[in-house]
Amino acid sequence: MAVTHRPLLTKIALHLGLVPFLIFALFPFYHMALTSLKTDRELYDREAVPLLIRQGPTLEHYQKLLWDTGFLTWTKNSLLVTMLATTVSVIIGTIAAYALARLRFFGVNTFGTGIFVTYLVPTSLLFLPLAQVVHWLGLADSKWALVVTYPTFLVPFCTWLLMGYFRTVPKEVEECAMVDGATRLQALTRIVLPMAVPGLVCAVLFAFTLSWNEFIYALTFTSSSDEITASVGVTSELIRGDIYFWGGLMAGAMLASVPIVLLYVFFLDYYVSGLTAGAVK
Amino acid sequence: MEPMNRRHFLTATGAGLAGVLAAGVPPARGQQREISYLCWNNFAPNSDKKLAEIGQRFTKDSGIKIKIDHIAHPQQAAKYASEVQSQAGHDLIEMRMHFPWLYETQLVDVSDLVAEVEKKYGKVLASAQETANVKGVWRAVPQYHTFFVAAYREDLFKKASLKVPDTWEDLYTVGKELKKMGHPVGIPISQNYDSISTAGPVLWSFGGMEVDKDGKTVRINSPATEQTVEWYKKMFRDCMEPEVLSWTDASNNDTLNAGKAGWIHNPVSAYIVARNRKLVTADGINHHRSLAGPHGRHETDVPRHIGIWKFSKNVEPAKEWIRYLLGKREVFDEYIMSGDAFNLPVYASLLDHPVLKTDPKFAALKQEGVQFHCYGWPAPGSDKIQRITNEFILPNMIAKAVTGTPTKEAITWAEKEMKRIISE
Amino acid sequence: MAVGSVRVGSAVSRPGLRVREWLDHERFLGPAFVTPALVLIVLLVAYPFAMALYFATSNAFIGRPSHFIGIRNFVALWQSDSFRQTFQNAFVFTGASVALKLVLGITLALLLNQQLWFKRLIRGAVLLPWVIPTALSTLGWWWMFNSLYSVVNWSGIALGVMDPPGPNWLGQKYYAMTAVVTVNIWRGLPFFAITILAGLVSIPKELYEAAEADGAGPVARFWYVTLPMLKPVLAIVVLFSTIFTFSDFNIVYVLTHGGPINSTHLFATLARQVGLESGQIGQGAAISLYLFPVLVLVVWAQLKFVRRQVY
Repeated sequence: MAVTHRPLLTKIALHLGLVPFLIFALFPFYHMALTSLKTDRELYDREAVPLLIRQGPTLEHYQKLLWDTGFLTWTKNSLLVTMLATTVSVIIGTIAAYALARLRFFGVNTFGTGIFVTYLVPTSLLFLPLAQVVHWLGLADSKWALVVTYPTFLVPFCTWLLMGYFRTVPKEVEECAMVDGATRLQALTRIVLPMAVPGLVCAVLFAFTLSWNEFIYALTFTSSSDEITASVGVTSELIRGDIYFWGGLMAGAMLASVPIVLLYVFFLDYYVSGLTAGAVK
Repeated sequence: MEPMNRRHFLTATGAGLAGVLAAGVPPARGQQREISYLCWNNFAPNSDKKLAEIGQRFTKDSGIKIKIDHIAHPQQAAKYASEVQSQAGHDLIEMRMHFPWLYETQLVDVSDLVAEVEKKYGKVLASAQETANVKGVWRAVPQYHTFFVAAYREDLFKKASLKVPDTWEDLYTVGKELKKMGHPVGIPISQNYDSISTAGPVLWSFGGMEVDKDGKTVRINSPATEQTVEWYKKMFRDCMEPEVLSWTDASNNDTLNAGKAGWIHNPVSAYIVARNRKLVTADGINHHRSLAGPHGRHETDVPRHIGIWKFSKNVEPAKEWIRYLLGKREVFDEYIMSGDAFNLPVYASLLDHPVLKTDPKFAALKQEGVQFHCYGWPAPGSDKIQRITNEFILPNMIAKAVTGTPTKEAITWAEKEMKRIISE
Repeated sequence: MAVGSVRVGSAVSRPGLRVREWLDHERFLGPAFVTPALVLIVLLVAYPFAMALYFATSNAFIGRPSHFIGIRNFVALWQSDSFRQTFQNAFVFTGASVALKLVLGITLALLLNQQLWFKRLIRGAVLLPWVIPTALSTLGWWWMFNSLYSVVNWSGIALGVMDPPGPNWLGQKYYAMTAVVTVNIWRGLPFFAITILAGLVSIPKELYEAAEADGAGPVARFWYVTLPMLKPVLAIVVLFSTIFTFSDFNIVYVLTHGGPINSTHLFATLARQVGLESGQIGQGAAISLYLFPVLVLVVWAQLKFVRRQVY
């Protein structure tokens, strides 16, 4: 069939429709990147064009951040905490979700709603009594405190997301396996989970982002420079009284988003298909 | 064997995930004397480095290990509240302004230390005493303060032959010219602390106050407040731009340093940053004393103290540290010198500090004969005053008035809100 | 299918048989599977939550003894101007943000669902705002709305759509609300777009074909096929987003500190101001829990609806 030029026009129109969205999403990112590369002198120049670097780009803010502060340690802490908290939450969430999606037992519905309601408990002050719990556990001023507390807001999310996903795996497949003699556990690990990989990836990414961005627990449960996470470290190093070190702050924002950007680029397709099944059925 | 405490119990029984993880954490530091100090992150990064160095020397001299952590000031409230709630954390904490009042019941009485330090350096300045001495008991040891002066563009003033103002009224006169020149005055009228630090002194110098000395009688509805509000209204109209309604604590600095503002009311931080970052405006900036009104000259500052939590198990070593840092003239001097005149001692005989000689632009930072007061003055820094301040009632009253609410109505609103808080 | 490859033989002959039987019992396996989650929540959320409830009904002040005072905090708050203003702001902020995110999210998802060049790249770009740590990206936005260096105003003026000096973004109440809503949309839109996109992908093509055969145009197809099929996804997304937006803290705290004249304060920022900065934990907790009963009801009803729709 001959290709008419109408689909092409439609396609171009579609892309044009996306332009405002892309500008909206990327412009602040671009501006932050630019800010991180400008010299202080140009940053504070009122006559300077904010959209361009004209007095020469500089890596000075990045250098300062990387070598003069504990940024590398903080990032390492962030990564450690995030990876552990994500792993723990996804595992706990997976089995809870499976139980909620597949098994009938006393209190299943109450539990499903109850786990969601924890989101309504405002963290703005919850961290005070939680600090007490952290202290009782002997985890004060330790990144392990974060590994233990982050799952409180990750598990409900993972559970709900995965619960939806597990329901999309046809029951018959599982029952078939059990008729063949597989136990429930085997059915879960060998049938359901492999089919649910996109859903799991999706839960991992969500959990990863949420814990990577967490601020208030990280701030209150840790204080030593060896224990704090990247967001806390960057803001406490580069906001001093009424002085903001803009270049450094934005360099921090850039560097702190790199790991996640990479993660998303690698997993994006899984991510979308994971959401597809999880959220819908 | 010593009885098991909760931590050991949890670790031993592996009760839940947390217990298992706790096993990976080193046990509580036991026998060796070690203290920890949670300090704000100083304006001058060098000051933090110097503090670390002094800490090491302290360990060498006294055998007491010290761990110093830093935190940005907007985060102090959350951090301190969580330490108090869990009754654990650092031994020593840096306290800004009225914090000793807020945490009164949680702080060790350090009157003995203050007496020692005062014997050496003379009396503590008024504002530091009003904030760190709670109902006759010293809850923290005052160390230094940052105070508000006028930072102005001397080059512009000279070019237009403007007179350096001495009163708030003078400021209106030169402010009009400055705005015409494209260099407006920059006094924030927003929900930030700089707004309060200017509105307070203006109100006091017109003879007004928010709440009386008894801490109970609301005095905001007065002719002095009306004069203050009227002054702000004309300043806003003729000398400033609406941008001041949107400002944070950093904005007036930025505006001066960028070469826009001709005059701001702020600590010296703006100039020091301009100088250190080699901005073009740095040379033109100079300072002069904060301004006076019909009822005299009232200046304000941000005194900073060191307190010791009552839950600390190391009160004596903690006191040692304070003695070492503040009580030794050469150490204290060294610490102050590293702070670039951001931080000046709050003791009577240290006012003419050598750090002021390090830059001719610091000449105006003379503190002799100045009566500094913190927000809320003359009322004591009780809970109620904190709440009134933190709700930004004073700047909001002014913001309402300059954006169209009749003066009387704005004042009545402030009075109503303040009375509500007092009566709660 | 993977079924054939499952190997089962070995487990049968072992004494683990009884355990196996137990594990196959839903009545046991179910509770066993939810136990870790339950322990976590009871240990780490239940106690703090009970404490928060106590705070809200007591005169708790940082570090001082407190006692129960019933609903006095809630009554006192209602008398405060800043609280009533906050109450109103919270609804405006949440309503506007969620509504716009929903409309824009559907639009963006529809666009992303088409055949595109650089599909992967575009999807990645759209997700970016969701990835940068909020504590730092909001600072970036503050810098963008900053009265002195506002790149928004600079661009607006350069393009001729704003008169110099441009809007006083953070100093005028309507602009300030617009600014905080904009940042919230910027941050939340990717979540909407990608989740809705996922929903779109899963709508069976046959439905569209059938509709087309019946002579339905694009608008009718959207209205009668796409939207009804998306309803379950939308319900969950809106629920999550409403809760997160309602309790948003960072954007307002960094951009306006609740100003000008409290016109952008939200529950979380006011709770911090009262509970932490002024030490009145009791009232602070009351602020954050003010709408808790209402929210629980809403969530309960909505979840019921979602379950009925979806499962």
